[in-house]
Amino acid sequence: MDLKLSAADLAFRDEVRAFLDENVPASMRRVSDLTSGFIVDPDVSIAFHRALARKGWSVPDWPTEHGGTGWTPAQRYIFNAECGRVGAPTHNSAGSHFVGPVLIRFGTREQQAKYLPRIRSGEDHWAQGYSEPGSGSDLASLKTRAEPDGDDYVVNGQKIWTTFAHKSNRLFMLVRTSSSGKRQEGITFLLVDMDTRGITVRPIIGSGGDHEFNEVFFDNVRVPKANRVSDENKGWDVAKYLLEFERGGSVVAGRTRDAFAKLVTLLGARAAKESLLVARVAELGTDLDAMEMLEISVLSAVQAGSNPGPISSLLKLRWSEIRQSIVELAVDAIGDDALRWTSERPFYEILQLPPDQEEVLAITARYLNSRAYTIMGGTSEIQTNILAKTLLGL
Amino acid sequence: MDLQLSTEQEILRSIAARFLAEHYDYRTVKNVVQGEPGWRAEMWLEFARLGWLGLPFAVEDGGSGGEAADLALLMEAFGRHLVTEPYLATVVLAGGAIAAIASAAERREWLPAIAEGRLRMAFAGEDRAEPTRARDVSGGFFLEGAKKIVLGAPMAKTLLVSARLDSGGTGLFVAPADSRGLTIRPYRTIDGGRAADLELASVALPSSALLGGNNNADALLDAVVQRAMVALSADAVGAIGAMVAATVEYAKTRVQFGQPLGKFQALQHRLVQMKVKEEEARASSLFATLTLDAEAEARTRAVYGAKAKIGRAARFVHQSAIQLHGAIGTTAELSLGAYAKRLMAYEKLFASTDECLARYAGLIARPGVVAAGLLAG
Repeated sequence: MDLKLSAADLAFRDEVRAFLDENVPASMRRVSDLTSGFIVDPDVSIAFHRALARKGWSVPDWPTEHGGTGWTPAQRYIFNAECGRVGAPTHNSAGSHFVGPVLIRFGTREQQAKYLPRIRSGEDHWAQGYSEPGSGSDLASLKTRAEPDGDDYVVNGQKIWTTFAHKSNRLFMLVRTSSSGKRQEGITFLLVDMDTRGITVRPIIGSGGDHEFNEVFFDNVRVPKANRVSDENKGWDVAKYLLEFERGGSVVAGRTRDAFAKLVTLLGARAAKESLLVARVAELGTDLDAMEMLEISVLSAVQAGSNPGPISSLLKLRWSEIRQSIVELAVDAIGDDALRWTSERPFYEILQLPPDQEEVLAITARYLNSRAYTIMGGTSEIQTNILAKTLLGL
Repeated sequence: MDLQLSTEQEILRSIAARFLAEHYDYRTVKNVVQGEPGWRAEMWLEFARLGWLGLPFAVEDGGSGGEAADLALLMEAFGRHLVTEPYLATVVLAGGAIAAIASAAERREWLPAIAEGRLRMAFAGEDRAEPTRARDVSGGFFLEGAKKIVLGAPMAKTLLVSARLDSGGTGLFVAPADSRGLTIRPYRTIDGGRAADLELASVALPSSALLGGNNNADALLDAVVQRAMVALSADAVGAIGAMVAATVEYAKTRVQFGQPLGKFQALQHRLVQMKVKEEEARASSLFATLTLDAEAEARTRAVYGAKAKIGRAARFVHQSAIQLHGAIGTTAELSLGAYAKRLMAYEKLFASTDECLARYAGLIARPGVVAAGLLAG
């Protein structure tokens, strides 16, 4: 048993560092640092995605026959850690982590040929249409309806919390195609072009001031049946598959550690050594060390060919809490600077201050946005319910 | 990067689980601990027979050359089964100190005897107030001072006593328990073990008593204590695991309001939180175990960080386990109280949860330290 990186791993790390040096300029880092929302604006991150695509690294987790890198778990860890350290942005994970794997597993040849290259290259930007005003945690209760009409479905309804729908040219969504029988058995998975007539996108502004989420309205929107993934009424199985795919071992320790390192820098500049805040940051540091170790153990299990099991869901639950705590402690660290509020966004376009002053102004917005970490992608409460079943057999 | 157990480690783990399950049922343990001498000599001989007493020692010193990860597996099993035999004291602390500081001849004098179960030792490393002094005289030393919380001292024939030499460095001295001027004041510890405070009034020792002839062993002694902290952390993980498993089992079988407790969401959530803490504690323990051979700063960060983390997890788990058992959780009849006391002892031994946190905080104050991930070059 060891925590060592091999010589080959270290050589890979050098290769990654060299690539990042060349393709993450200081201006891009600044955008990352001053992004108070979850996701860097795709208009900025696209440049990095294109650089990755040129290198063949834009969809590393896909099977190699579809453009994946075939990296070992150690290499995946290294890539994530190094990207985290330089603030490299992620680009359209809805494309690379959601609809991409779905198409690889369930898509027709035609669908794969049409959509996968455009996710790899970044030509398409995808949004996810799952939640509805009446269907959040209880997603299976969704009501947006798709009526068959010749070669098309006609879609009527509404999606909500659609991240960056306003910058997406494609959307994948779950719709209801049957109301008889079990609710899950009447759901279908569709791919939609955002420029189709009848689609309206309305922004939702977060309390942190950022526009990331949207409502998306569908008024008699015609979607070709050729855009259906898998069979009619089998959409729920497709959605469940995605949860399994994530269990292959996500790698988020690196980015989280970068955020924590910045907190420690902030603390050093601001807080007295003896303050209670120092103790709280230290506690969080021990939490982060434990979580990273758990993540490595999942990767090690995958590397050895075994299934890590429900421990992966546990990771998601705890990472969201740790990321929240990091930004919460940052708010504590900046004292009464937290009273200043800037309402214009994005920060990187309106501020012209020294970096450490700029970043302080984004912290309160970032904190307010971070409250969603334990809500989106399955609330912590739902995750805990699931863990009670899968981990404890209750 | 490889965290999978080797075949040998799987075997060690399963043999330990089977043996301890057979000989350490709670009723037996409770009776042993309540009575005198508080441990079982026949179990000590079994440990020798199983190769456990020599596990961490080099093969040429009568051991099996086990790694820290092997020791952690055994310690976790000890914690899981409430073992109170003085393994930590004799093998990890005293044996570890000899392995680290003694000359080859001294190692061969002491370690095989420990490994074969013929000798128990205790390590007196903590001063009650002022540092214990070793006055240099011709032909030997006079030791003067007071030590506290010497684990396993009542069971030991030989003590290893740290003392500051006239030259300013610290040495480790081999002192027979019946040395003149040495007073041993034994007591029970909260976790069912036995320890003692020592008073040393001009205890005369020959020059050869200075282990390894090393008059500047401070750094080595620190490393020995850190190894013991890590071993004890694995023990705590075992105790935590046992409490979680017992509580999950209880939730599945105890019926109130017409259904098992485990059907109530509030309790499900508390149980998941307990399990999460157990997994985090185990991960912390493993990180510290695998970082013992790293350079000092990385090792200290891992060791103190783990003890701080596991200490907090221990408290949450022992409180929650008792809570979810209801009234019977507070009794002496159930093993929960014994596990709680073992974890209370864990929080205090060597360095408290808060002291460990403070030490960790001092280390991570530099962003470069915390920015480095756990996988090393």
